[in-house]
Amino acid sequence: MQSSPFNLRRAIIWIGRLILAGIFIYAGYSKIFLPIVHPHPPIGVALSFFAMQVDSYQLLPPRGVNFVAHTLPFAEVALGLLLLIGWRLRIWATIVTLIMLGFFAAVVRSYALGLQINCGCFATPEPLTIKTVFRDGALAALALLMTIFAFMDARKPHPWSSPEKA
Amino acid sequence: MIRRQILALIVAGTLFGLSCALLATARAPQSPGTVSDVDPHTAFGSKNAPVTMEIFSDFQCPACKTLFTATNSKLMDNYVSMGKVYLIHRDFPLPMHAYSRIAARYSRAAAQVGKFEPVEQVLFQNQEKWEQNGDVDGTVAGVLSAAEMTKVRALVKGGTLDAAIDKDYALGQMYRVNQTPTTVFHCKGQTYPYPGVMSYDILKQFLDQLLSQR
Repeated sequence: MQSSPFNLRRAIIWIGRLILAGIFIYAGYSKIFLPIVHPHPPIGVALSFFAMQVDSYQLLPPRGVNFVAHTLPFAEVALGLLLLIGWRLRIWATIVTLIMLGFFAAVVRSYALGLQINCGCFATPEPLTIKTVFRDGALAALALLMTIFAFMDARKPHPWSSPEKA
Repeated sequence: MIRRQILALIVAGTLFGLSCALLATARAPQSPGTVSDVDPHTAFGSKNAPVTMEIFSDFQCPACKTLFTATNSKLMDNYVSMGKVYLIHRDFPLPMHAYSRIAARYSRAAAQVGKFEPVEQVLFQNQEKWEQNGDVDGTVAGVLSAAEMTKVRALVKGGTLDAAIDKDYALGQMYRVNQTPTTVFHCKGQTYPYPGVMSYDILKQFLDQLLSQR
């Protein structure tokens, strides 16, 4: 018997892909192009501005800060597009989940330490509050669920695929 | 079929990203364009410097102390005194701090007698002491002569300093400052609001990038 293409598991995978892809693409875009600043600055200025936000988490030495600031925004855009396309979904979903869990851990640590810092999530002056913690937690949970379901879904033949021949 | 779906998804994602960007742009803090209402006693460096930094600060806030002690002296030596950065102190006394407005009044008064720098330094360096007992007056008296202190006390009692503090506070609200320290960078008509502490090495990198813009 062929399973329905529209079940809760697939719906969650799709919702996760669309939401996380949108957020990742926008997060990367805003860090690279700094839409809050007019006229728009060159990419080098935008990335060094983002480096200050990474640095404020007090987690990495200056070299690590620079590495993250100059690679994360591009990785976010690429991962967002790959999630959207759905090619090798399990690989990209796993990486997105690990990144989201990393963000969540960093945000929880900063909140617990009482660091008065900027979230830096979308390159806007957004203070890190309990709302940020819940938002990142919810997104990390969604990413985790999406990845687990993507792995479970991969075990079954796709309902739209042609029946196997004997 | 699959190719069409892929293309549709890419287009949808790009449109979503762009619409988010437009929304964020629409909600961006309004920049007043040029820096106005600068008290020359609480500003350092050349007015014609390519970069202007307005630091919205609260004397009783620990993060402001960290920014001041970790970054300020290097910034003054390497950028402000070299004519690259015009540094403006803005008062943003948070209502949750009992003595920050009093400290702001004393620093403003000290600025009028040309002693802003030593008073700012002593207030930040002894923050833990005066925030316990509220002895701002005694702390400031430690770095001023008796004659200067008499003038400062008269200015504080005169009650005319609150207007300047409120002006800074209102300016901060226009920039949507909601925590201290918040630094607003201005360069080539661009405004970059940055809440929080920054280490000197990373700040230096950002300033160098700003200065290298054509």
